[in-house]
Amino acid sequence: MKSQNWMMKAFILGTVFFLAALIVKPVGVSTQFSVLSGIIHKTIDPDVITEDSEKETGYASSNAYYDRNDGKLAKSIEDPLHYDFVFVLAIPFGAFLAYLATGKRRNMLDGTVESCERQSAETQGCKIGVIPGEKKNVGKRYLPSFIGGFLLLYGARMADGCTSGHMMSGMMQGSVSGYLFAGAVFAVAIPTAIVIGIRRKAKGGMR
Amino acid sequence: MEILLAIFLGGLFGAALYLAGASNPNKLLSMLRLEDLGLMKIIVFAIGFASVLLSVSIGFGIFDISHLSIKTTHLGVIVGGFIFGIGFGSVGTCPGTCVAATGTGGFRKGLAAVIGGLVGAFAFSMTYGFWEGTGLFDTMNLGKLTLFNLSDKFPSVFSIGYIGLLITGILFMTAAYFIPLRGRE
Repeated sequence: MKSQNWMMKAFILGTVFFLAALIVKPVGVSTQFSVLSGIIHKTIDPDVITEDSEKETGYASSNAYYDRNDGKLAKSIEDPLHYDFVFVLAIPFGAFLAYLATGKRRNMLDGTVESCERQSAETQGCKIGVIPGEKKNVGKRYLPSFIGGFLLLYGARMADGCTSGHMMSGMMQGSVSGYLFAGAVFAVAIPTAIVIGIRRKAKGGMR
Repeated sequence: MEILLAIFLGGLFGAALYLAGASNPNKLLSMLRLEDLGLMKIIVFAIGFASVLLSVSIGFGIFDISHLSIKTTHLGVIVGGFIFGIGFGSVGTCPGTCVAATGTGGFRKGLAAVIGGLVGAFAFSMTYGFWEGTGLFDTMNLGKLTLFNLSDKFPSVFSIGYIGLLITGILFMTAAYFIPLRGRE
């Protein structure tokens, strides 16, 4: 990352957060994990969400979380094809287009980390300090990401927002909850990352 | 129209995350280890810049105040943040960036995190009643508190309106400018 390159990226990211709030509403992601897991839940147990004319949204649920705020989540699960859900579905497509557009060029310019990401996707073998052929099995490779994802979303739902909704959108609007969330997250994430980094290095230089 | 906007803005968000390098767990982890602070600069500057745009557009009266979305402050924000921090610090992704990662070279790990996230979100839905019973969401509940009074709907700490947000934004951008690219060895 050279000179003012970072600033251009920050202008783009900041503009997107502002545009979303200006045109529709501030960016948020983690609620849609509850919606999608709720859709799967409903497929298995169709009775979990019921129509209820007394609720403002017209839907109720036997689950306290889906049912709260006048069945807001219950309605999103029943009828998901609206702004918030489609917004999150569109994220990978935008990332993919940017990846196609700049991936190769960045790969040559930007050095190890980026190319490592690409190579590891292609050959599953690029890890600094790990001898090729010493392939880990699928479970071991992806289990940490799975557990990490579990903790991220369990925590985000408890806090009622994630990096996007609380930290970026929240702090952009001067929301006190956004500052609290950011403080709590970094207070734990920084020591966790450092300790895990030291342990991995001790095990053989893997990043 | 709503759907088209969702596709457009969601796509733009995904592209911006990728371009910033936020969809790459290695970059996030080296930021959290305070080694490579480039991403920290980008994020802090972006928040500040977005605040400036927001406050200026509110000042000119072109921002629809009803679009503001302030979340409630309560103890769950902090406890949830701690749990979130363990996941963030150990795998270097967040709910938005792992979704973005499923469209890039790191899609396998991204997908594993998304699936883990779906199970985690489901586990929370199932245990919400328990947490509600403990009073977690009522402790330290300050309502939808904001720093500055942008809208009559939300209580605020300071009553200097969008000017306060403008100053905060400029402070964030200035701080970002002085964050070093390289951190500790």
